Amino acid sequence: MKRKVISLLLAATMTIGLLAGCGSGSGDTTGADTGTDSAADAQTQTEDQADEEGQEETAPETESASGAEDLTSLRGNTAPTEDEINKVNTTLNDTYLGDVFEKTIPNNYAAYPWKEEVTLDVWMANNSILASVCPDLNEHRVFKQLEEMTGIKLNFIVPALGEEATEFNLMIASGELPDIIMGAGRYTGGIAAGVSEGAYMDLTDIVDEYMPNYSAWRNSDEERRKTTVTDEGVIGGVYGIAPYNEWCWFGLLIKQEALDKTGLPVPETIDELHDFLVACKEAGYNEPLNYGSTYGQIFTGIINGAYGVWDWMFVDDDGKAAWGPEQEGAKEYLTTMQNWYKEGLINKDWATADFNQRMAEAVSDDCAVMMDSPDTMWGYWKEDNNIDFVAALNPVLNKGDASRQTYRNFKQTGSIAAITTQCENVEAACAFLDFAYTKKGWELYNYGSYGDVHLINEEGLPYFPTDGLMYNDPEEQPLSNLIWKYRLHDVADIRDEHNSNPLITAEGSYSGDIRDYWTNNMDSSVTMPPVTFTAEESAREGELGTILSTMRNEYFSKIIMGQLPVDAYDEFLASAKAQGSDEFVALWQAALDRYNAR
Amino acid sequence: MRNKQKKQTGKAYPSGFGKALQKDLKKNAFAYWLLVPVLLWYIVFCYAPMWGVLLAFKDYKPLLGFGKSQWVGFKHFKDFLSGPYFGRTVINTFMLNIWGLAFGFTSPIILALLLNEIKAMKFKKIVQTITYMPHFISLVVICGMIHIFTQSGGILTQLVNWITGTEHASLLGYANMFRPIYTFSGIWQNIGWDSIIYLSAMSSIDPGLYEAAEIDGAGRFRKMWHVTLPQISPTIIILFIFAVGGLMASGHEKIILLYNSLTYETADVIASYVYRRGLQEASYSFATAVGLISSVVNFLLLWITNKVSKKYSEISIF
Repeated sequence: MKRKVISLLLAATMTIGLLAGCGSGSGDTTGADTGTDSAADAQTQTEDQADEEGQEETAPETESASGAEDLTSLRGNTAPTEDEINKVNTTLNDTYLGDVFEKTIPNNYAAYPWKEEVTLDVWMANNSILASVCPDLNEHRVFKQLEEMTGIKLNFIVPALGEEATEFNLMIASGELPDIIMGAGRYTGGIAAGVSEGAYMDLTDIVDEYMPNYSAWRNSDEERRKTTVTDEGVIGGVYGIAPYNEWCWFGLLIKQEALDKTGLPVPETIDELHDFLVACKEAGYNEPLNYGSTYGQIFTGIINGAYGVWDWMFVDDDGKAAWGPEQEGAKEYLTTMQNWYKEGLINKDWATADFNQRMAEAVSDDCAVMMDSPDTMWGYWKEDNNIDFVAALNPVLNKGDASRQTYRNFKQTGSIAAITTQCENVEAACAFLDFAYTKKGWELYNYGSYGDVHLINEEGLPYFPTDGLMYNDPEEQPLSNLIWKYRLHDVADIRDEHNSNPLITAEGSYSGDIRDYWTNNMDSSVTMPPVTFTAEESAREGELGTILSTMRNEYFSKIIMGQLPVDAYDEFLASAKAQGSDEFVALWQAALDRYNAR
Repeated sequence: MRNKQKKQTGKAYPSGFGKALQKDLKKNAFAYWLLVPVLLWYIVFCYAPMWGVLLAFKDYKPLLGFGKSQWVGFKHFKDFLSGPYFGRTVINTFMLNIWGLAFGFTSPIILALLLNEIKAMKFKKIVQTITYMPHFISLVVICGMIHIFTQSGGILTQLVNWITGTEHASLLGYANMFRPIYTFSGIWQNIGWDSIIYLSAMSSIDPGLYEAAEIDGAGRFRKMWHVTLPQISPTIIILFIFAVGGLMASGHEKIILLYNSLTYETADVIASYVYRRGLQEASYSFATAVGLISSVVNFLLLWITNKVSKKYSEISIF
């Protein structure tokens, strides 16, 4: 997850300069104005409607919308009237939204608009993209609209860009906490530590009462339930939960022209990949494989996975926690890579290249195969240089074996929000967070406002029309920035990345198809689920983890570069054992057991 | 000012430091007022937070605060001293600093001596400006440039290839190249800036000394050796004592920007190792313990150097 954000940030900062500007900039004022002008009269209308609903709080979900006007005519409507736009943007009517996912998104709006005047302090970390599209989070168009719909006022506390970690720790140390912390997972020791040390509120007993939508959504699926609770059964935060397992976003990408030149099919096995790289080399690609790692392994296991030498911790065939670098196939894997390096199939500077150098190599005529994100490469290869590419599954050892990878998010994505122990109005804080898990919340957080930013298709799924603001930004900001301008990219909500990330849905982009293909054709059962450690475990895990990763990185990269013989691996294994790799695995096993018992 | 002070020293002070200070306070009240902000700065930022070293003996949790965090004694010290990378990181820290002393410390002196010999002011100004310009470039940019110069087709790599006659991948991937790259890029960054203090020391040398030397038949080199160097030696020695006092310290930023798993062997220093550990979990106490160890060693080194210097050159900082 972190890597994804980092790569997005990198991609954004590399491709574009940072442009100043805000969501309330000149071009989109028309849309925003119509929203606020009609807000007042629409407000009274919703209040009446909601008051009625407020009488019977336990009303079943379907009833909450039953009194509302039927707006299903908006499905497939590409030119809604001003009145219709207002109704969508300012009322809680959701009849036009379809049930497009496996599980129905809840829509209990009984709490809105909120019964009293309230302002919540929300701490939320900035990022360079968000800062470039909206310098003041209080002015963000989605939060503005949210305030109108829920009747809950928000006051954002935003740390200085790049100082998030420091300011977060200072805030915790000072003991002065806001009502809500967005991105609460950054607490040292995680959510569980935040609760046990008294920073975050234990929501276990109140989540059903105050957050009916969140509760319904997280209980709608076993994976969702398991990943959003601590080992002790404490609900310490409100987790971002996706409607599906998000697509794998990193893998093997091959230039179409390299396939054409060599006349070979997309390689499926390690041997085929080798032959393909040799053919590429003969065809003039001097460094055909751009080895996408600074230490010789890829976290999704692109080549090492074939040997079972997964990057780090994984779940083996018996369901036990295991450490990739100590697996049996390691020597075979290292021998292969060392040979490939000797043969000149891998880029010479793989161990030292930074992002800039890698991308420069990728677009050069020396490179035929990349290990990277198709979103990134769509930008660098297709958009900037018109290089078409196709995806390959992680190669396997024997033809016909199932291709495997270790990316899976267990339907838990986005940020975690926590209500702090100093929150004065817990009920209102719950109501604000709960809104994100309603149909209207799903629409607003992911797709922004109706009419100017998104429309609704025949199935009742929102989309960004090609003539809408998303693809025609008046400030001409790149799409990679707009993910934070007209919508919210990474908060605690029902994150609908596949349908609402404009980078994926943009016309002509096939990066989404590639990610879909990888996800559905590779087995991800080896992935370690998001387990949690106790405070003592976590300190020990951190200590051993640093020692072991230093050792692994050093030996593996030196062996692949040929600076050490493959036999040095035995030395590595011996010292790893001596330093406590078994204890390390045991820590993970204990955490995994607790996770499975949740 | 100078003359006035001389006069004062001429008069006999009342005995005792306290009385002397009292008298001086009255006489030069304004000068003492100027000292106040500096003293305040030291008190607020250097002395007041000192009790924080106690964190090294606790398992500090920010929210629990200092009082409620558990005392753990020497646990963090043991962790650090018994870790598998303790020896290597200490040696690397020392080695990088010794390289810095051998090359990074001497080069500004040589530059200053050379500049001092240049009589064409315009040329001197140009050289000075060019040499201290890199000092103002952000470290991240500097390291980006080093990456470009040292990648497999980079200008430095080609130079090394030409000298050694073998093909090299990125120079940053060879453990034995790290120290030279780190040190010499540091010289490039700081040579001009660091030479300023020597140049200013040289400008206050009495021209009469040079004239006397000339009459004695000294050439340029002789004058440099027998007049300029001895005249700036107090400055050099003081700066040297400070530099030795920093042997265990090293900024981690530049190292983290330049190192990788292939060069850990020579590049992984105490600060970068602690940084990697700290990144996974905010271990304040561990970092404090390591910081305390470094400070103690640094202080000892400083004290020893100072003592030696006092004995042999009669120049010391305390």
